[in-house]
Amino acid sequence: MSPLARRRIDRASSEPAGAEEPNPRSSITALGTTALGASRAALELWRVFVGTIAGILRGFSRSGDRRGRPKGELVRQLHSIGNRSLIFIIVTLGFIGMVMTYQACLQLGRVTGDYSQVGSQFLRLIISDFGPTLTALMLATRVGAGIAAEIGSMKVTEQIDALRMSGVLPIDYLIVPRFIACVVMTLALAVLGSLVMHAAGGLTAQYSFGVNPGTFYDLSFIRGRHIVLFIVKALAYGAAIPIVAGFCGLRARGSSEGVGWATTAAVIGGSLSVIVLDFIISAAALVLTEGDL
Amino acid sequence: MIDEKPVASPGRSDDFESGEARTRNTLRRGNPLESLGGGAVRLAQDLGGIVILTGQVLRALVPPAIDGRELVKNLHKMGNRSVPIVVLTAFFAGALMMLQTAPFVKKFGATSLAGWGAGYAVLREIGPILIALMFSGRVGANNTAELSTMTVTEQLDGLRSLAIDPIRFLVVPRVIAMMVMLVALTVIGDLVALLGAAVVGRAMLEIDFSTMYHSFADNLKPYDFLHGVYKSIAFGAAIAMSSCYFGVTVRGGAVGVGRAVNSAVVAAAVSIMLLDFFLTYLSA
Repeated sequence: MSPLARRRIDRASSEPAGAEEPNPRSSITALGTTALGASRAALELWRVFVGTIAGILRGFSRSGDRRGRPKGELVRQLHSIGNRSLIFIIVTLGFIGMVMTYQACLQLGRVTGDYSQVGSQFLRLIISDFGPTLTALMLATRVGAGIAAEIGSMKVTEQIDALRMSGVLPIDYLIVPRFIACVVMTLALAVLGSLVMHAAGGLTAQYSFGVNPGTFYDLSFIRGRHIVLFIVKALAYGAAIPIVAGFCGLRARGSSEGVGWATTAAVIGGSLSVIVLDFIISAAALVLTEGDL
Repeated sequence: MIDEKPVASPGRSDDFESGEARTRNTLRRGNPLESLGGGAVRLAQDLGGIVILTGQVLRALVPPAIDGRELVKNLHKMGNRSVPIVVLTAFFAGALMMLQTAPFVKKFGATSLAGWGAGYAVLREIGPILIALMFSGRVGANNTAELSTMTVTEQLDGLRSLAIDPIRFLVVPRVIAMMVMLVALTVIGDLVALLGAAVVGRAMLEIDFSTMYHSFADNLKPYDFLHGVYKSIAFGAAIAMSSCYFGVTVRGGAVGVGRAVNSAVVAAAVSIMLLDFFLTYLSA
């Protein structure tokens, strides 16, 4: 590149505003600032969560008063969170089910060559972990990013302030319907995703390794505790995703750049909270059942 | 700040009607064939756009004139700053896989095989996929947000008016940085994941670190590790191309930026899963 072009670039492409962080004086200052910011964010996240729960309870107690929420909003959210994620969930979980079965059969073929338990153990793993967790990870990207983008754009165009001005709680109006819809739809999509995953795995096992479908679709290892674990995990993820995304959206500042940052934060926060919740719930289940899961 | 008490009782605004109308419009959007066709056309448009952008990036690489400073800046921003999130994710991924193998280990008392189950799953599948998904969220989405902000504020047109090719100057360094850094982060993440598996094995199953080390060393082959790493090259390319494509084709202000980021992460997630499937099949 010529020096002239280089100079032109230097002048033209000054950093997009806000990309550089203020240079902290010392590492201790930086540490303190980070800790303060994190604790403030945690408090705010907690308030969004409590506000959402309170909003749901208020909805029960005063069924006639919907706090200005448009009629049919819940149905709309159920549709946009659930139905519109159908193809996405089917495609992603179907492929990952095929890959996992393929890898497991490949390894088993080298060691024992006995495929009779692949299907039943795979189903056990899907129900107690992979089904709800992978569904929720996928939803954290699609639904979490969607919620944060929507609420974030409303925040930066001052629609949230307008809501508050007209006496409407933004959490009741915006987050409560998304929360309910996401909890319901995560559970429903987790069931669907698990079925798709296991069916796709069965097809792979049948066509690539000649495993009899009768032995693959085997429910003998499933016990009540696996189903309980499945439901607990799906509900926990379904609650975490809209709370984190709504929190990120409400924190959006500035203009289009702020919306972008909020969406990014929602994807990361949602995925990470799914992984951490998975770890906590799995470890708790293992301790409660004394390792006999 | 958020849960302030409402000042007046919520009035029934015009939003009521428009909300209902919106619901109707969402639920009954005319002909289902029409919406199916519309979706297919949009999918084809996006796929074609990504292919064209890939072609342009490859064309820009032919006499390799890469802007060094932009490349180094992006390598640092995308790689070094993602280390904490990748380490955290990988640690939990390893820990989770150990938790899933724990029932078998307890049942059969096969402590020497604990590292095999967890390590194989982590190195081949769970590690690269989870790290790529987190990378797509942290770096891909961020990159889309940045590029789309530049696009909607007409900074790309500004570059063009100075006779600077935005593909060469903005897109190429980002694509290279993402591909290089995802591979590097996958290597780090795999090691951290094995560490996470060992820590959980020690804490919950009382397996010594030395037993665990031998379990890893005896049962895992170098190819298991490489299998995950070379898949991450493809994942990096997919994340980079989808995030840059949705960044430079954005339209319409703040709403558009949010939508672009959303589309980019969804496209990245789908392409990670599809590529994983095809690469696993091809390489076995």
